[in-house]
Amino acid sequence: MTEAGVRVPALEDAEEAEKEAGRVSKIPVVPQGAPWTAVERVMFERRSIRKFRKTQVPAHVIRRLLEVARFAPSQGNCQPWKLVVVRDAAMIQGMEDFCVGECRKLTESLDYATMRKGSLKYRVARAKTKVFGRLQPNMLHPVPITACTAIAQGRFAVFHHAPTVILVLMDKRAIGVPAIDIGICGTNIVLAAQSLGLGTCWVGFSKFLNESKEWCAKFGAEDPFEIEEAICVGYPVGDTTHLIPRETHETAWFEGGKRELIY
Amino acid sequence: MGLLTSKERRHFPDWDDPAQCMFQRVTIDLEKCDGCKLCTLACPANVLEQFGPKGAKKVRVKADHRGCISCNNCHAICENGAIRATQSYDFVGFYRRFGLGEFSKPRVF
Ligand SMILES: Cc1cc2nc3c(=O)[nH]c(=O)nc-3n(C[C@H](O)[C@H](O)[C@H](O)COP(=O)(O)O)c2cc1C
Ligand code: SF4
Ligand code: SF4
Repeated sequence: MTEAGVRVPALEDAEEAEKEAGRVSKIPVVPQGAPWTAVERVMFERRSIRKFRKTQVPAHVIRRLLEVARFAPSQGNCQPWKLVVVRDAAMIQGMEDFCVGECRKLTESLDYATMRKGSLKYRVARAKTKVFGRLQPNMLHPVPITACTAIAQGRFAVFHHAPTVILVLMDKRAIGVPAIDIGICGTNIVLAAQSLGLGTCWVGFSKFLNESKEWCAKFGAEDPFEIEEAICVGYPVGDTTHLIPRETHETAWFEGGKRELIY
Repeated sequence: MGLLTSKERRHFPDWDDPAQCMFQRVTIDLEKCDGCKLCTLACPANVLEQFGPKGAKKVRVKADHRGCISCNNCHAICENGAIRATQSYDFVGFYRRFGLGEFSKPRVF
């Protein structure tokens, strides 16, 4: 009993209440080695799709994706997302062109791998990246820089010529770490899409659009909103559902007073 | 403290140096590969290419490859199980990765 006389209901109370009400739910039994559920299968078979058929996805199917997004968990139920659906090829091409331009600028000033080794430009760029890397280690990670260069050189795309692009805008004022909520919301979309026979690809490079006042105004990505991610949606070229090998990860498991490392 | 040594923490790897940025190679079984080219289309790093004479084409990793992210999208699309990444990409210094184990397909427990 606290001072105010309010008590937080204990777990025992909850189980007791369940019993008293005669509503004790059965604990589901999953036998060892049981086949994967539909949800597990979808998670294993999902790949990022970057080559799409030209066929547009029917509007009602995209509406289904928006619907699962709505029910994503979020910190304090703050739902910090705002979704924007783009289905006009010319508009998607415009977004592509803009982002490619931004990649070119970045590559020209930073990616010393594209410069003549030992030249002044090379040395300046290399020194710059070492400083910026310290300030923005996530952005200057070698993987996105390499991808950015590939985009600048036309060897990689931003929106992968998908028939539908869903932009996921984020309310920067939201609770805690809103980018996590954006990730979860998008995960709902991506997994539901997979279950509907669609292919998707997350596009972090969509953030470049934030550099354009015109695009932002068009999308309603104005303060306190910004474009956090985009998700390309369409029908995949080829059957991409062969199960793949992936890294196992070291996981500490504490039980019975012992610590074990599993993979 | 932390898992990185102070020297590692200060060392930002040169991304044009394959000894510092280890974008791993994929393994291709040329016996199984029928040269269908689908993996080259699926590869996000654009590191695969077709080669060989007409009618007997195969796929290989480009000589100047940079950026394979071990995603195995090539394996996912291959009908013949001819290609797969078996090693993670990794870096020396600041971006060294931790706790990665062997590659494994989804396991049943
Ligand atoms: C938040 C996020 C952003 C991503 N941004 C991009 C992107 O801009 N371009 C791209 O081609 N792939 C992008 N990806 C896809 C990843 O490269 C991909 O998920 C990873 O390589 C694993 O492959 P898989 O999705 O096929 O399993 C992104 C993924 C996530 C989760
Ligand atoms: S998808 Fe498989 S069979 Fe086709 S080219 Fe690639 S490795 Fe060869
Ligand atoms: S693992 Fe991914 S990045 Fe590497 S070759 Fe295969 S598809 Fe390309």
